[in-house]
Amino acid sequence: MRLPPRGTTAPWTRWMLVLLCAPLAAAQGSAPTETKPEAPTTLFLRGEKVIVRPGRVLENAAVLVTNGKITAVGTDLVKPDGARELSAKVLCAGFIDPWSALGISGDALRDAGTAPSTRAVDAADAFADEHVRREALRAGVTSVRVQAGTTARVSGVGALLRVAPGLPMEAMVIEADAALGMSIGLSANASNQGPTFEVVDGQVIQRDRGSRGMDPFDRIADVDRVTSTIEGGRNYLVSKNEYRHELEEWQKKIAEKETELDKEFKKAKKDREKEEKDAKEKGKKFEEKKYKEDKKPQPPRFDEDSEALAQVANGDLPLTVQVHRFAELHGLLAGTEKQDRLRLVLVGASESIPLATRLVERQIPVILAPALNGRGAPDELEAADLSLPARLSRAGVTVFLGSGGVDPAATRDLPLLVQMAIGNGFDRDQAFDALTLGAARLFDAEDRVGSIERGKDADLLLLDGEPLSSAGRVQYVISAGRIVVTPEG
Amino acid sequence: MSHQTTRTFACTALTLGLLALAPDAHAGNGKIAIKAGRVITMNGPDIVNGVITIEDGKITGVSADAKAAWDAEVLDHPELVAFPGWVEAHSNRGMDRPNENVPVAPFLDVRDSIDPISFYFEDSLRAGVLTINVQQGNACVIGGQGMVVKPFGLTIEQMLVKQGSGLKLVAGARPGRSRATQSQELRKAFIDLRQYLEKLVQDKKDGKDYARREALFQGKDLEKEENKNGRALDSKATWKVPGLEMIPRGEIDDQKEPLLRLVEGKLPAFFYCDSGSSVSLALDVARTNGFLANTVLVLEGDSWKAADVIAEAGVPVVLSPNLTWVERDPLTGKETETFVPKVFQDKKVRFALQSQNPSAQSLWFQAAQCVANGLDRKAAMEAATRTPAEILRLGKRVGSFEAGRDGNVVLMSGDPLSVTSTVQYVVLAGNLVYDRSKDVRMKHLMNGVEPNNTSPGGAFVDGSSHPCNDPPKSDEKAKTDKGEKTPEEKPHDDHDGHKDEPKKD
Repeated sequence: MRLPPRGTTAPWTRWMLVLLCAPLAAAQGSAPTETKPEAPTTLFLRGEKVIVRPGRVLENAAVLVTNGKITAVGTDLVKPDGARELSAKVLCAGFIDPWSALGISGDALRDAGTAPSTRAVDAADAFADEHVRREALRAGVTSVRVQAGTTARVSGVGALLRVAPGLPMEAMVIEADAALGMSIGLSANASNQGPTFEVVDGQVIQRDRGSRGMDPFDRIADVDRVTSTIEGGRNYLVSKNEYRHELEEWQKKIAEKETELDKEFKKAKKDREKEEKDAKEKGKKFEEKKYKEDKKPQPPRFDEDSEALAQVANGDLPLTVQVHRFAELHGLLAGTEKQDRLRLVLVGASESIPLATRLVERQIPVILAPALNGRGAPDELEAADLSLPARLSRAGVTVFLGSGGVDPAATRDLPLLVQMAIGNGFDRDQAFDALTLGAARLFDAEDRVGSIERGKDADLLLLDGEPLSSAGRVQYVISAGRIVVTPEG
Repeated sequence: MSHQTTRTFACTALTLGLLALAPDAHAGNGKIAIKAGRVITMNGPDIVNGVITIEDGKITGVSADAKAAWDAEVLDHPELVAFPGWVEAHSNRGMDRPNENVPVAPFLDVRDSIDPISFYFEDSLRAGVLTINVQQGNACVIGGQGMVVKPFGLTIEQMLVKQGSGLKLVAGARPGRSRATQSQELRKAFIDLRQYLEKLVQDKKDGKDYARREALFQGKDLEKEENKNGRALDSKATWKVPGLEMIPRGEIDDQKEPLLRLVEGKLPAFFYCDSGSSVSLALDVARTNGFLANTVLVLEGDSWKAADVIAEAGVPVVLSPNLTWVERDPLTGKETETFVPKVFQDKKVRFALQSQNPSAQSLWFQAAQCVANGLDRKAAMEAATRTPAEILRLGKRVGSFEAGRDGNVVLMSGDPLSVTSTVQYVVLAGNLVYDRSKDVRMKHLMNGVEPNNTSPGGAFVDGSSHPCNDPPKSDEKAKTDKGEKTPEEKPHDDHDGHKDEPKKD
């Protein structure tokens, strides 16, 4: 994971700043004009304070939203005719829950048969949990990263989805290939606690957790499984590349041979005619000359699981591994040391404090879901207390906070969780970044969401106070350019 | 009526004791004229005192003054209503061991599963359902090809209306899978097809190239080979297989071939969706693989919530048998009811109804429910006749009366949507195949008449121990056992509110 260092501005951002100060009439004129039947209306949003991106604030500015996209941001924008105007004290980007269970159907969430190529986006359910979605939106969370088979050893490819209920598929999905998920040493995969019971549609269903507990050897095996799976992806990638080279070589060789054969064809024909004649005269059967050439190289057998893993090994897709205990964290870090392209993201990471330096060295970010654990909580979560974000972040680790990926309703409480982490020493600015642009960047969606900048999707909050403070209530929520929350409800 | 069918009827009656059929006097020249007090054509206004003439299994005329041929058999029933019969667009009944196990089985044909003597078909006939699309595999990924049948005949050939009615695909999670893994398998089936075809083409190319080099080497003139046998991939899919024209279609694996036909739009798809979110998956798979225009969605659960997406895609739907969706708000506890056909009517989506069960809640009941919930009568009737016929691409054969259509007529004691109406006669392809007054089971159930030779070991001969038998008076019983007619047997006096099926489940 290579994040650009904080504080530097990318060239396009500088260009943005210039644009912000310039009159933006031209921008309005060049707004996309295509109109879909249910196209979101043009919105003109005013804020006494507009948090354009973490660390960049405009006073008394406005944001123009056309066809679901932010088309202009500036201090001297003029409201276009027909635009709906909303205003608030503070405008900021919608929050992203990087570790959520909301927005995906429950059966997919619990599926234990997932593979690397299983895609969470296929299980995205725009119609499920409507009330939970509305509450999450009211709390300011506009998008979530979800994963099928959360407790499976390999969960498949996770997706970044919008929370707003009933959105058409293309509006709901922000990034279909957000990250590949795996897990190590989860108590959910063990069973020294006997079967679990779950209530589905009023009926109690017994779920067996398996026959054996998750003992240290199982956990070591888990670590090994993850590292060898990634290694498998890398090997597949290598064999694909090898095949490409071999094929090129073969083609070159064959092309040369063909020109040669073409050249010598006349002679070959003459020889053949002569031989045929000879054979006839001698009363023998004419036999064709045996033609030999190098065998064409065969491509490695296509395997969609390996394809996904190859993307991970190549760093095209981040790898999120849910792992909590020190021993497994240590094993994972050791086992992936040579995978220099891997973009590893640790999820959970409860006992990662002793490894902070190594995480910083390798620029591995973590997604935490600290909580006050009561009795009966899995032991791997014990160390994930509310001060963990602060401690890790002070050590230099890039910290994100998520709702834990088990309970869809927990996404609503993510902003509260972040506030509690701030109360326990987590830096407020870093927390805001982690909830917005940082999380977007983590899953390669920084060109779509995470900040209020021209060209991005309109996913933003209008608040009557500072975000992540008890005084800052969410007034309006805009998601993909649609007003999905109003002060009335 | 042909000799063969007469024999079939005899077989039916003898071997099964299901239906006593076919009145004795038959001209046997394939001509029949049906006169009814009211003819519901489903194709324009109703005709009072109309005549439907049928020759060689096809309707030749429908009007108030159509003349029956002098030698035609005439069914003259001014007290009855003639109706083209209901059309079931999708049914997973009437099968003996349908495939619900092999997940990807485009090569399976439901003709191998249909059980002609299933009670389902008998019940359907009695309920006036004359055209049924049988589709297996709701718990698969690709369940197999369906078949349209009529509910009469002892062999598949006799029942056949149309073969290869469509391929069943499943977007909802089958048991043991989740939506995510189900989608994965579904998409993989098409990826596999594409890769298989690409490999065929590549191997062919490689083989040709090799042959050319070999010929050059051997000094042989290679005869020019035309790609005469193959055909290029003709599909709206987002993927292409360049060079498929090199492969004669006969070389393509039979197990893969139906999927190729689907992708080329030559085989319709019946896409089973169990929820709103599976609709997006179904439409996406159909779009990506080029068969959206040939897709019919078979809906279950809350799939209706995706009505907007369905309307935009412009595909017809077969509705869940459960027409009312009840949902409880988890916060307020308030229950909301949604009448699903109304949703689709408002969105202008073509929809067909599905029976809840083959008897008491058959298509007439579903259509009647629609009327009861505010749909207009025409829309409700069409959803169980014309629309399913069009969905099955049989619009020119069944679902309405017009010259040239199949000679299928239901004669009912009253309005088809009335709970007190019963099916009195059914004419299928010009043959009288059902006569309620001779329906053995009806007689047994309604009047306690024990049919001859149907009680194994004579167990119920006296009628007393049969659980569903109204204890008949002993003298009446004695009469019936001799095969005499009971007084109540006049068909259309049957207004006792029982409809036609006492065995509700």
